[in-house]
Amino acid sequence: MTDKTTAAAAPKKLSLKAKYAQLTRGLGWETTYQPPDKVFPQTHFEGIKIHDWEKWEDPFRLTMDAYWKYQAEKEKKLYAIIDAFQQNNGHLNVSDGRYVNTVKLFLTGISPEEYSAHRMFAMLGRNFAGVGPQIAAQMQSIDELRHAQTQIHTISQYNKYFNGMHDFRHMHDRVWYLSVPKSYFEDAMTAGPFEGIVAISFSFEYVLTNLIFMPFMSAAAYNGDMATVTFGFSAQSDESRHMTLGIECIKFLLEQDPGNVPIIQRWIDKWFWRGYRLLTLVSMMMDFMVPKKVMSWKEAWDMYFVQNGGALFRDLERYGLRMPKYWEQTVVAADRLSCEAWNTFYNYAAAANFNPWCPTAEDMDWMSQKYPGTFDKYYRPRFEHYRELEKQGKRFYNTTLPMLCQTCQIPLVFSEPDDPTQTCYRESDYNGMKYHFCSDGCKDIFDHEPEKYVQAWLPVHQIYQGNCFKPGTDPTAKDFNPLAAVLEYYNFGPGDNMDYAGSPDETNWLKWKGLAKSGPLKMAS
Amino acid sequence: MGYQVTIEPLGHSIEVEEGQTILDASLRAGVYLPHACCHGLCGTCKVQVVSGEFDHGPASPFALMDVERDEGRCLACCATPTEDMVIEADIDEDPDARHLPLQDHLGRVAELVDLTPTIKGVFIDVAGDEVVFQAGQYVNLHLPGLEHPRAFSLSNQPRPGGRLELNVRHVPNGEGTTYVHRQLRVGDEVRISGPLGRFYVRKSDSQPVIFMAGGSGLSSPRSMILDMLETDADSRPITLIYGARNRAELYYHDLFLDLAMKHPNFRYVPALNEPTPACGWDGIKGFVHDAAKATFDNDFRGHKAYLCGPPVMIEACIRTLMQGRLFERDIYTEKFVTAGDGAQALARSPLFKNL
Repeated sequence: MTDKTTAAAAPKKLSLKAKYAQLTRGLGWETTYQPPDKVFPQTHFEGIKIHDWEKWEDPFRLTMDAYWKYQAEKEKKLYAIIDAFQQNNGHLNVSDGRYVNTVKLFLTGISPEEYSAHRMFAMLGRNFAGVGPQIAAQMQSIDELRHAQTQIHTISQYNKYFNGMHDFRHMHDRVWYLSVPKSYFEDAMTAGPFEGIVAISFSFEYVLTNLIFMPFMSAAAYNGDMATVTFGFSAQSDESRHMTLGIECIKFLLEQDPGNVPIIQRWIDKWFWRGYRLLTLVSMMMDFMVPKKVMSWKEAWDMYFVQNGGALFRDLERYGLRMPKYWEQTVVAADRLSCEAWNTFYNYAAAANFNPWCPTAEDMDWMSQKYPGTFDKYYRPRFEHYRELEKQGKRFYNTTLPMLCQTCQIPLVFSEPDDPTQTCYRESDYNGMKYHFCSDGCKDIFDHEPEKYVQAWLPVHQIYQGNCFKPGTDPTAKDFNPLAAVLEYYNFGPGDNMDYAGSPDETNWLKWKGLAKSGPLKMAS
Repeated sequence: MGYQVTIEPLGHSIEVEEGQTILDASLRAGVYLPHACCHGLCGTCKVQVVSGEFDHGPASPFALMDVERDEGRCLACCATPTEDMVIEADIDEDPDARHLPLQDHLGRVAELVDLTPTIKGVFIDVAGDEVVFQAGQYVNLHLPGLEHPRAFSLSNQPRPGGRLELNVRHVPNGEGTTYVHRQLRVGDEVRISGPLGRFYVRKSDSQPVIFMAGGSGLSSPRSMILDMLETDADSRPITLIYGARNRAELYYHDLFLDLAMKHPNFRYVPALNEPTPACGWDGIKGFVHDAAKATFDNDFRGHKAYLCGPPVMIEACIRTLMQGRLFERDIYTEKFVTAGDGAQALARSPLFKNL
């Protein structure tokens, strides 16, 4: 070959599509040492049939060089902002000390799940037999690791000044309510690769992700938390790839074989319900925890699920899919969800790693306005009763551990779909044992795979079985205090739990802001 | 005051209003651009600007970084043009698109024929340069006294010296079609701009073809079928499934019966959804999608399908095709949206690009 022909072949710039073809070229080789079934052993047992992996289209077509360039730029920008935030004592600019509790909820309830997602996508990248999904899953795996790291770094500034965040990893594996997000991701991770990707990429990233990021990031913006806003933007810029993966995987699976349709429908039913239950935590964050409110849970659910989700499922109907089972119940319960959740955390203020409070008169008026049909009728009297008890010095704490749902691991605190005054209880018998559920949705999930869910590590059961004490604890000792022993096992220190009123966080906040009754302002006057 | 934005590699030009985003305008003009969040955060709609000034709008610095801004990229969901622009989007080029330039023509109504009680055949002779088009495309017809032109598919076969034919169904309360039915006269001068649209046969693909048409939606398929059978002498299997309300509304019936006699690779399947005893109909009763399902035994794999008609018919046909295993990459549609359909347009998700 002469120099001339080489030069003639070189100059044309590759299109994105051609670049991507080069990136993935030859990666889907025919294995010879082992048959493909042994190289990809997990692609058959779920019943999903794939006839042609080549039909997987990756509309994003991001090449590795572009990927690293973009991600590095994002990191540079984010860390510059975090530095400025720290140097300027940015934590003092938030709307109110109470706000930091939403950051605690995020760091302990969501950031560890970014890490879980990182692990899961690494496994998917290995287990899919097609090149397109392998590449997409590997990139997402790296993204999720980046998200976990940047969130931890951002929030570390708050950890220097506020309680409840110092042992977030340790707490994530032990604290009762954190088993809700933990078990959600572990359920997805221990499913087969196809269920895993439908669970996370489609049902979570595509259908529900706006309901996590939008509320937390808007709340951060409204409440002066620019550091959280920044990592939110940084993470959300990866979402296009993740959502695209969600859409692509669902279309691919549905188009590959008609037998896949009922399997996918069952997974969508399951993961919609599991995701919705997980969002219970977000609902109370939106309606009760942020001092300056953005929008109500009901408004968010209506916009992001009923409307956007409705449009999506209208399109999916073309494949023969329908709306997720029990979605109507979520619409009915939108008027109640956050109240039922916040009531629970108020009851168990001793056992969460943040500081709850009884809603103020102003908070309650906002709720009345946002929930005219239910708040004044069902929930205001209860919160006003709590307030009255507090005034009398008889703050109500629930000291009886609650029954947990075997599937979602949330206490049985939700009301009957057709009656907000009755608690919803469901149960199933399996191998001579009784299992309890918070809803029809959770019961159905258990009934389909009881062998999986009987293994659930339920925090309340584990406490009663004596598995939640530090080594060397003697439960037979005379002065044994089980609650104190459990909190010690959680690595809770003073101020990590209990009410915001009178907490070290509140005291410090008032002092730093010059608002303390006995603080510098008073002394100066 | 608006701007022209040309979208490469399609070469398609769209009108963008002052303050309107490129994404909004292109989706409204029927040009799909990849998108997801629609408010500047995710970066899915990133495009390369080749020329023209614009405003970035509220694009997030993480979704569109400084280096990318320097390289002339923008987010179509936020960017608003401040002059005419050319952009390059990551969309696939179509080997069958001839990218025929849009031109204005002056024509004269040569003939008006009642094809059915509600559909009029409008035949137009064009002065000067003839209208060059791909079978299946449409033209904009400018009518006197109406602010905006009306779009009508060309029903004639594209060949030199051909007289243009439009099939216009009368839409009750539709200003444009009422004018055509009540006021338009032979000899009237009309202004036409075209060709428009991306509804044409993907001839580079060799798979058998199914046409599904409803009412005056027959016009495009008629042109496409005549073009394939007579101009190209195409020998692949071609099926036309054509639905009308009753026998009086079923037009060009004899033409297609003849074509089916002459061309063994062409199959004609008419269906009536409301036949009356007067119709004397012993053919298929039902809608187009019912007839298609029966004709193909609910298995459409290995075909290309071209759908033309009112939105309700298109949606029913898409569902039937998809449940019979034919998907977006093999389905092409031309929706006839009329004054009567506007209100029922429902929000769509980004699941499908073109359907």
